[in-house]
Amino acid sequence: MSFVGPSSSFDPLFAFLSFSLLKVEAAFYSLPGSSVIARYVKSSHQNDPGRTVLELILVVFAIRTLLQSRTRNEKQQKHFIEFDEKEIDELVAEWTPEPLTPQLTATEKSDLAAIPIISGANGAKPRVTKMAKPVLNLASYNFTGLAGNEHITSRAVETLRRYGLGSCGPSGFYGTIDVHTKFEETVASFLGTEAAILYAQSMATIESVIPAFCKRGDLIIADKHSSFAIRKGLEISRATVRWYEHNDLASLEEVLMTIEKEEKRRLRRRGCLSRLFGRSRIQVKYIVTEGIFERDGAMVDLPKLIELKQKYKYRLILDENMSFGSVGRTGRGLTELYNVPATKIDMIVGSAAIGLGAGGGFCAGTQAVIDHQRSNGMAFVFSASLPALLAVSATEAIQILSSTPSILESLHENTRAARAILDKVDGITIPSHPASPLIHIYLKGYTFNPTQIALEESILQEIVDEALSQGVLLTRAKRLRGQEVNEPKPSIKLSISGGSGGLTKKEVEKACAVIKSAVAKVLAKRR
Amino acid sequence: MAFRSSPSRSIFKKKSSPSLAPMTSAASYLSALSEADARARGLSKSPTSTPALSLSSSITESSEDTVLNELDDDNRDGLLFPSCAPTSEQVFTTVHTEFGHCSNEDYRYVSQHIPGATLEVVEKDPPYYILLTTYISYLILICVGHVRDFIGKRIYPGAYKHLMPHNGLAPLTSDFDSFYTRRLKQRLAECFAQPVTGVAGRTIVCLDRFSPDFGQSYILTGGRTRALNISSYNYLGFAQGRGGCADAVEESIRQYGVSTLGARMEGGSCDLHVMTEALVARFVGMEDALISSMGFATNSTFIPALVDKGCLVISDELNHASIRFGVRLSGASVRMFKHNDMKSLESLLRESISQGQPKTHRPWKKILLIVEGLYSMEGTLLNLPAILALKKKYKFYVFIDEAHSIGALGPHGRGVHDYFNVNPRDIDILMGTFTKSFGAAGGYIAGNKNLIDRLRLHGHSGPYAEAMTPPVLTQVIASMASIMGIGLPSSLSHPTRTLYSADGEAFQHPGPAAPAMLPSWINLPPALASGQEGETRLRRLAFNSRYLALGLIKLGFITYGDPSSPIVPLLLFHPGKMNLFHTLMKNRQTPIVVVVVAYPATDLVTSRVRFCVSASHTKEDIDVVLRACDEIGDVLDLKLGIRPSERWTVDEIIERAVELVKS
Repeated sequence: MSFVGPSSSFDPLFAFLSFSLLKVEAAFYSLPGSSVIARYVKSSHQNDPGRTVLELILVVFAIRTLLQSRTRNEKQQKHFIEFDEKEIDELVAEWTPEPLTPQLTATEKSDLAAIPIISGANGAKPRVTKMAKPVLNLASYNFTGLAGNEHITSRAVETLRRYGLGSCGPSGFYGTIDVHTKFEETVASFLGTEAAILYAQSMATIESVIPAFCKRGDLIIADKHSSFAIRKGLEISRATVRWYEHNDLASLEEVLMTIEKEEKRRLRRRGCLSRLFGRSRIQVKYIVTEGIFERDGAMVDLPKLIELKQKYKYRLILDENMSFGSVGRTGRGLTELYNVPATKIDMIVGSAAIGLGAGGGFCAGTQAVIDHQRSNGMAFVFSASLPALLAVSATEAIQILSSTPSILESLHENTRAARAILDKVDGITIPSHPASPLIHIYLKGYTFNPTQIALEESILQEIVDEALSQGVLLTRAKRLRGQEVNEPKPSIKLSISGGSGGLTKKEVEKACAVIKSAVAKVLAKRR
Repeated sequence: MAFRSSPSRSIFKKKSSPSLAPMTSAASYLSALSEADARARGLSKSPTSTPALSLSSSITESSEDTVLNELDDDNRDGLLFPSCAPTSEQVFTTVHTEFGHCSNEDYRYVSQHIPGATLEVVEKDPPYYILLTTYISYLILICVGHVRDFIGKRIYPGAYKHLMPHNGLAPLTSDFDSFYTRRLKQRLAECFAQPVTGVAGRTIVCLDRFSPDFGQSYILTGGRTRALNISSYNYLGFAQGRGGCADAVEESIRQYGVSTLGARMEGGSCDLHVMTEALVARFVGMEDALISSMGFATNSTFIPALVDKGCLVISDELNHASIRFGVRLSGASVRMFKHNDMKSLESLLRESISQGQPKTHRPWKKILLIVEGLYSMEGTLLNLPAILALKKKYKFYVFIDEAHSIGALGPHGRGVHDYFNVNPRDIDILMGTFTKSFGAAGGYIAGNKNLIDRLRLHGHSGPYAEAMTPPVLTQVIASMASIMGIGLPSSLSHPTRTLYSADGEAFQHPGPAAPAMLPSWINLPPALASGQEGETRLRRLAFNSRYLALGLIKLGFITYGDPSSPIVPLLLFHPGKMNLFHTLMKNRQTPIVVVVVAYPATDLVTSRVRFCVSASHTKEDIDVVLRACDEIGDVLDLKLGIRPSERWTVDEIIERAVELVKS
């Protein structure tokens, strides 16, 4: 009894085990394809039992890898140092952070105080606080003289009453107002592209357009002295950036040729592999440049640029912030000036704040280019849309420009008049294109040198202050020293205005004469 | 009531039976209104009580301008006129479609943190079958998408041209990157980018559209539908084309034009900028403030001026894209902590301070914590007291993005510090936007004078971005001043503290604006200038927020966030339900437009509807929304929160609204 007992008491257990084993086996074989696996395991075990062990280990390892978290946290890195709680408390108590911001220096304080504040409406002849009389304005962007235009003002008031002020939401969520669509259609037909998209700020436009299309691993060729916003767009995109000499298309072609050679070499090296895996991927390649450069007013040779882009198979992003609404017969920008169809440029980026005297920025291109931005343009998706009345003002401005070519004519005449005087002034050089209403003034005799920036800027500021005291508002081109790559040379930035709301030719000449005397006075004092 | 339909009726078709409102036509309503106006004027002897925008003129003008010449006599949807005409005591100066008429003082609440109340929000998990079917839905969507791509590329190569290399150029967008947009988001195209017209106030007018090609493109039919707007960020209802603020904006356009022509540092600064900055600083209780013409750009262009290499940014995992953009440009290191989880934050702080910079182990130059006051997709509130306690110990700097909380939280609308009654000077940097509560555009950063001056000089916006335009500045000044009140201390008895402005002037915070801070040509009507209307707006918003959030919970839905938050997310889970929910809400007798959000704005499984409550909604409007949710929730199986026995019926909720809100 005692001998049989335990075995009989285990009997039901064994019965259950063998029963469930049978069940599992049956279930396993009922799965489709399971017999193949079983046969494989059996035969491999028969041939080499060691292999079974190896494969089991592999399976365990695979499961472990799968279960492990994807991102390694800091603790697993080799530089991590283990501390106990008390040590951490001590380290925390010891740590003294730097102040959030250092105290302002004297130069910074004087820079801040020198910023002109306009009291009342800005325009061709605004009032500046601290000045009794109105001044001639060569500092603000009013190329087409649309500031204070009565038609635009009355349309803006109408829009305010119908739409309120803010749009109260991003475009995706009930922020697409019919006036935005109207502006997009107007600007697209004005430039002659398929479609356009409106952003809420012009600086944010280019900063979003570049990363919407270029990602890590893509290639961008950019001008060495591109504007700050372009640079930030390039940084955000994380694409590989190659630079060419400022506004030098020969240098651009050199870069393009080098890249082509590199590609061929790479292809040859990978020859056998790419033959194995079919065609290798074509790299996403862009050229980014400006129409009129914000940094110095130089103008790009658009036909040559388009020829290069087509020859070497690149797409082109052209930033027309400064050239839209300022060059061409009716202000369509570089495409109109050079008589190039806008469809030859993949993305034209322009500003409704600078050229049209309203607010916001836009990008024009094919339908596919625009649609892609509607879900991938960061500043478009994640920002409230432009207030309706600014969109309407911009639309009206385009309509005025296209129906009144005399506006641009007077602007160009004023620009020529200004250059006729300024080109002859001693002690300064002008790097800007003769047709550009954005004119930069450099001091002659200062070869660009980082240590002299402060000195040059102080001389330029003296000229600005002197001109203001004689009734002309100028501004130094303000820069973010230390944050710019390839520091721009210090300059005074003039924006010539034309049209009915701008300066007359006489006033421009008078203002330029003031600049001439101010330059002479300040430089004479220095010598 | 015109819009109270019995819940048993089918929700699949628009109800066609004309419901009998007490006032059957616009004409009768208007005559009743003008009578009431005449009586009200007769009673009040003071000449200032009828400013330029008097009651009768505002209503008749509105029927010409803002109603957009349609549906004039048709109040079947209950959106044009209130359900009952005002009595002689009630004088409404707003247009009902923009800002709803509500005179019942019971429907008010004060938005503030009750000491001792818990901030821990227990997020209810849905049943497993919901999660499982949600994952399966996505799996099916992804498989179908790939099959369509595979077949489509071979049969219709023309439609895939932009995804294929052509002409020696790489494809414009890689088909892998755009897969989500093409194959998943496209199915929801109906819910997004709805074109609208008119004021985005209490109601909004949608332009009807249809798609001939399943969401690829849309054609406008020319028809218009007025819908109840519970989607725009219009927390305090300042999106108005009529009223004191709009009058001030009109005056500013006449005086200043529409633009200041340039960047702030280069001839684009005007006196209005200076005034607005001073007023913003006073509003939030900081020494100084700066403004920027775009909310997104406020973060993306000023954060790089705050931190650089060698600094650490600690960021909430759900922070807005603009913050990530700015931090990425700054070159600082970034670590993230679990959303609103103070334990995760503390352990991250201990780790980063003790380890120092990666590899070199040098101590961090400084640590900046960037958090949001109110999270726009979750409706969760920042645990400010806990963060300030951690700040004392770990010596980091605090940057609070109050894009959604400014104006919307706190008994005085000053944002999250006001809600918790914390001294704003304990926080280093306050950032916010004017798009939401103030009905304007752009953003601000406030802090001590030295900090703000530095940002003015070193932020990217200063020299390179366009300055804020005069109409926007005026809207900010007028709406902000009417929340603060001008000159007189607010009637709300609440503790104030004495703070000092940058030039050493003492002021009470939260307190009124000094009359000298406003341009002399702004003449706000007395109700706005006294701050009385601003206060009413704040209290109406607080009531509406709590009512909707708690009502939905009582109906059995799963919602996220704090009940005080005007953002109320209602969880849908299944991607397929998003489109349905949106369509069913829009096709009701009283059309309601809603925002649905899904991955990548949220987790993959937690697709949701996001309601944005406004002070412009009346209690009846919220009733309508609750009723709609109740019916649709039954059809779509959305009531997954509390057990049926604990639920209230929708009638009970509407009946006991005040009790519910005060609970």
